Amino acid sequence: MELRKVRFEVLRFRPEQDQAPVFQTYEVECMEDWVVLDALNAIKDDVDPTLSHRWSCRMGVCGSCGMLVNGRPVLTCAAFVRNYSGVIRVEPLSNFPIVRDLVVDLDGFVDKLKSVKPWIIRRIEKDLSEGEYRQSPAQLEEFKQFSMCINCALCYAACPVLANEPDFVGPAAIALGHRYNLDSRDEGNAERFAAFDSHDGVYACSYANECSQVCPKHVDPAMAIQQAKLTDFLQWAKILPKRSFT
Amino acid sequence: MSAHPAAEKTRTSPARAPSGFPFGFSRYRNYVLFAATSVFMALGCIGLLEGLYALSKGPEAWNAWLAHMAQPFDLALSLLVLGFTLYFVVRFGWVGRKIGAGRIGPLPRPPLPLPVLGLAPLGGFVTLWLILLAILGGLL
Repeated sequence: MELRKVRFEVLRFRPEQDQAPVFQTYEVECMEDWVVLDALNAIKDDVDPTLSHRWSCRMGVCGSCGMLVNGRPVLTCAAFVRNYSGVIRVEPLSNFPIVRDLVVDLDGFVDKLKSVKPWIIRRIEKDLSEGEYRQSPAQLEEFKQFSMCINCALCYAACPVLANEPDFVGPAAIALGHRYNLDSRDEGNAERFAAFDSHDGVYACSYANECSQVCPKHVDPAMAIQQAKLTDFLQWAKILPKRSFT
Repeated sequence: MSAHPAAEKTRTSPARAPSGFPFGFSRYRNYVLFAATSVFMALGCIGLLEGLYALSKGPEAWNAWLAHMAQPFDLALSLLVLGFTLYFVVRFGWVGRKIGAGRIGPLPRPPLPLPVLGLAPLGGFVTLWLILLAILGGLL
């Protein structure tokens, strides 16, 4: 298979020696079918073992290998080197503190996911002997796309609102909360809207739509946020009831 | 950052803004343009309120206001307000088309015309502005 020499500019941050992140250049012989992640692994294996980056499944499922490639948040396991011309610039996800090189601190992201109570909330749990909570295919379809999120955080890296308001709950967390709000088995809508309705909740979103553009699983968090806004407004205006769960 | 709460925290580098933000890529320029529409729409609202106030004061005040609005600077500003408002309507409608489908658990689906109604005041604003420009242009 034909090899192509590609120049990579990789952002490095080594907390023990760097005051601020700096770019380092590597030249890599890439095969035709390589993705950017393959090139990073080749750098780590053969050129510079100090380079740090996250990855796991290599097939767009785990969401670990999200980075900026030429300024755009992508899963590097799905970004083919042959689709880029010239120098390929690889940076850690924006809007997150950098722990080391291409590894970012996701603690705040996980806290935001937790803040929307992403689990089924019931006022009274059915006894196990009463069987499962049944759901029709049509009811499943209401929220299915929002359950496809792999928590890769690309939407957070793309969001211009988060660049200015770091406490914004953010696209993935709102889409996740919305997924449970749409679930016919759930009764925790009012609890979740405490997070949605806050200063950093759904109204902080200003329609950039970047989250949906970069989502590798086509979840469309922008849709979830706009629907959540409308529902929150309708509940505030008492057009929709908040707690009429039976 | 650490498994043990008493352990020393790792030094991190501060979060960086999205690469190329706010003018490096067309997607961000569109977003900034969208945000800028609020300034011009606010100016437009002030202009319309001034017009309504002049209208309430009688024909003399109204004609004076029209003469003021016919100045080249105000005319150019009026066209800018119209342009930015139209851009806002298009982009808002493009994202707003996603709003309607949501349903909350066992609750009934929200009334679908509501997001459409959200565009109605904008339509009124654009219509008023077109009427104003038509008056200034001598068409009405």
